Amino acid sequence: MSSKIARYYPLIPVYAAYLILFLIGRNVTGMWQLMAMLVFYCAIGQAFNIFLGMTGYVDFGYVAFMGIGTYGMALSISHLYQIEGLGMWVILIGAVLAILMSGALSVAVGAVALRLRGAYFAIATIGVNEGFRFLIEGAKIWGGSEGIIFSGQFTHIFGRKTASLISTTWADIFVILVACLGAFVTLRFMLGKIGYALMALREDEDAAKVMGINVTKYKIIAFITSASLVGLVAAFAWGLKLTYLFPDEIFDISYTVECIIIVLLGGAGTLLGPVAGALIYGLSKYWLTIILPGFQLLIFAPIIIVIVVAFPEGVVGVLKRRVRGTVLEKFIV
Amino acid sequence: MLRVKDLESGYGPMQVLWKPSLQTKKGAITSLLGPNGVGKSTFLSTVFGSVKPWGGSIYYEEKDVTYMPTHKKVEMGLALVPEGKHLFPEMNVYENLVMGAYVKKASRHREESLALVYSLFPVLKERSGQLAGSLSGGEQQMVTVGRALMTKPQLIMLDEPSQGLAPLLVQEVFRTIQKMKEEIGLTVLLIEQNADASLSAADFVYIMHEGRIKAKGSPEEIKGSPEIREAYLGI
Repeated sequence: MSSKIARYYPLIPVYAAYLILFLIGRNVTGMWQLMAMLVFYCAIGQAFNIFLGMTGYVDFGYVAFMGIGTYGMALSISHLYQIEGLGMWVILIGAVLAILMSGALSVAVGAVALRLRGAYFAIATIGVNEGFRFLIEGAKIWGGSEGIIFSGQFTHIFGRKTASLISTTWADIFVILVACLGAFVTLRFMLGKIGYALMALREDEDAAKVMGINVTKYKIIAFITSASLVGLVAAFAWGLKLTYLFPDEIFDISYTVECIIIVLLGGAGTLLGPVAGALIYGLSKYWLTIILPGFQLLIFAPIIIVIVVAFPEGVVGVLKRRVRGTVLEKFIV
Repeated sequence: MLRVKDLESGYGPMQVLWKPSLQTKKGAITSLLGPNGVGKSTFLSTVFGSVKPWGGSIYYEEKDVTYMPTHKKVEMGLALVPEGKHLFPEMNVYENLVMGAYVKKASRHREESLALVYSLFPVLKERSGQLAGSLSGGEQQMVTVGRALMTKPQLIMLDEPSQGLAPLLVQEVFRTIQKMKEEIGLTVLLIEQNADASLSAADFVYIMHEGRIKAKGSPEEIKGSPEIREAYLGI
């Protein structure tokens, strides 16, 4: 029994990091927004890691799942606000809708693009977010390019005070919970049969096939899981928090790039990696914006190049090798 | 055991296989011989399902498996040792071997399969903790063969196992193939360019040329026919 529990020890540092971020945010004045941003980066990193980290496939259209997840929340609130007594349930419905919609989109994208290998998959997915944005804008689906502004309906449901509490506090707490869920799912995958299948296909897809692994099935499972998780993150972090959405903002490719940076920086395929990557990326972005506003990207690019060259396995990848054979080995995966 | 009839396949618009037929006998080594680029590897890939057949049929143990997906064929007891060394370079030797016992049927026999592989290749036991990518060419080939054996196959198909190995190691490989047949009772389908070595190891030989089977017979018959030797084997 104790060895079974010991398999879950790697969650401790991850959850400890989230708890520390939460406590700093609650107790240090003016820190909540920064902590919320860091947790948001942790959450999207964790979600993206399930796909990129475990399969080795890069999806450049990843932000499309965040966009569609935000629509899930927005549609739920803007359409159901007149139903009396729905209260908190409207958020749950929005969350479920976000998971279903991003999951469905990932099935559609995956069914086509996952037939391609490696770099070809990456190229095929580049256009997904732009294509989807133009579809919404051009066909005037869900308000077209005007987006959905649902702050009015939102206050109508909850009243001014509760609505503002949800937006400023609970939305971020929900993101923390999704980040916890993401870490748990990642570890479950790693410990289970699926983890071995994904590891094998990441290293050599042909060899994995020859071992009797249904590679397509596992790729699609990882893809759907990753997409629905990030859809859920965006539903809270963008939908619930901002209570409006504009297609050109939520389909912005820079979030995909941020996901990639976070995962590679921290260590692709590791559990703690996305957290480490998110903290390093988020904090340096924050400080650089303060110290040298406007120059942060210019400075950030070479820093990332240096880190990727110096630690190709990411920070946690290096750490993992260092702690091999020590007590810490059980905690860092 | 394996019965392939009039198999057709290719890549894009280019047809590679022009209806070759082939049969393996249970407990025997069947060899498919031919020079580079005649479609031998395509033949194996099509039988195994990584290349889709265009026509013809593949029967395994009297069951039609022509369009069965690869992972199901592994569960039925077919194993493929792919050409070149498709290892998991970041896993150690032990982990590579255990990956072979991935399918349910094989994982039940994991420990005995592992003991068998170690008895066949004692050096792998010594190297079990080493990363597969850091092994020598010969040892990597042993891991690929060992990993295929871990799937608990009845029929093992080897795609040019002697490729890129020193002559001494080539002999070693063929000795192992003999052992697999004699000691484990495996059925072997061997694809080779190395005519000399595989003619002496095989029980039955097919010769492939331009995607067609041009000759078949026992090794003695092939060796005894100067036309076949000259036209297709160059020996």
